[in-house]
Amino acid sequence: MKMSLNERLQEELEALEAILMDDISITHNDTGYPELVKTTIFPSTANEVEKQYVCVTLEVRLPEGYPDCEPFIQLRNPRGLDDSTINNLYKSTKAKCTEFLGQPVIFELIELIRENLTESNLPTCQCAVCLYGFLEGDSFTKTPCFHYFHSYCLAKHLTTTQRLFQEEQDKLPAWQRSTDGFQATCPVCREPIGCDVEELKTALPPKELESAQTFEVTSDIRLLQESMKRLFTYQKRKGGIIDIEAEENKLLLITESSEDTPPSDNSEDPGPSPSSMSERVVENGILSRGQRYDFRFNSGNR
Amino acid sequence: MAALPRRIIKETQRLMQEPVPGISAVPDDSNARYFHVIVTGPEDSPFEGGLFKLELFLPEDYPMSAPKVRFITKIYHPNIDRLGRICLDILKDKWSPALQIRTVLLSIQALLSAPNPDDPLANDVAELWKVNESEAIRNAKEWTRRYAMDN
Repeated sequence: MKMSLNERLQEELEALEAILMDDISITHNDTGYPELVKTTIFPSTANEVEKQYVCVTLEVRLPEGYPDCEPFIQLRNPRGLDDSTINNLYKSTKAKCTEFLGQPVIFELIELIRENLTESNLPTCQCAVCLYGFLEGDSFTKTPCFHYFHSYCLAKHLTTTQRLFQEEQDKLPAWQRSTDGFQATCPVCREPIGCDVEELKTALPPKELESAQTFEVTSDIRLLQESMKRLFTYQKRKGGIIDIEAEENKLLLITESSEDTPPSDNSEDPGPSPSSMSERVVENGILSRGQRYDFRFNSGNR
Repeated sequence: MAALPRRIIKETQRLMQEPVPGISAVPDDSNARYFHVIVTGPEDSPFEGGLFKLELFLPEDYPMSAPKVRFITKIYHPNIDRLGRICLDILKDKWSPALQIRTVLLSIQALLSAPNPDDPLANDVAELWKVNESEAIRNAKEWTRRYAMDN
């Protein structure tokens, strides 16, 4: 006897739930049709969770008429996988769906992805801090949220944020200080992470950094610089460029009604270096070197 | 030139090879930590059609601390003051080394689409934006037309 569409789907979903149990979630729409199946897939590492370096969440959207028409596949929250790996996964899952048209395909998809993850169970992404990859021998850390950093890079992040936290605390009166202490967070998703900074600090810098290229001004850069300059000159002529000196003097006049320095006519390009900025500071004599530079850039953020 | 951190070189190369639509950033000749930037005003915002020049400087300990960014072209916006300084959390306490020049500039472009007068930096602008939004938007359009256009 031929089963109805819904019975075939029902049978497939029951089998999935029996195998994957809590690791699968099925969302029903208002009419009770199971429209979305979701599961997070890890590589097979004989249940050694600490050796799973990659994962991805598979979302299968089931159109009415499945399995006689293809489901829509989405791969969400990939961890440790670069774009080309994800693109290849999309291609092979698509092919699998076509091959299995008319038959249950969800478990096939899960197995296919798991095999792929097991093969590439080394982070193929880049370290978000230094933007370089992970090479054999690099010491790297996987956070509980599945983000990857060279231990060396993560140590730098943690020591910096810890120092900033302490500086902020020291500014506060005793009763306002945090009682919880410093909480390290993941640079990518800001989830709390627990790490031994002292141990991370002993790691060597990533290898790929040593072989990286040096900086060169290319013809592309020159062209772009030229067009920037043209725009600046045009806007300057139209009065569209902020005249820092004039604006600061306005502020000074309002707040202190002190000496009336005429706004200087700086018609040159506003760059380039902080040193040339501070030269103007000394000229103007409004603020000291360091102060002025901070004043220009550090906007109040309240 | 003093040794430039590899990450800055990599970001620069990517900015040139895969530019972000509506954003260009190019290092200065004499200081590769100083970037000349143009952000185009987002569609359906009062800044549409404008080309805004900004300057961006990567401090010594970048990416551990945030880039310093400022508008050079005049702009009428409640979160940007008369000196071009920008009120944006990721440039201050919400900085993370996983952010990059491109993500910072995208956030600034997004700020143009979504002015937030409740967290003001330019008080007079924010005030008008709250009591008479349509007039504030008219001003922003007028400033864009007058100051931020190309020839």
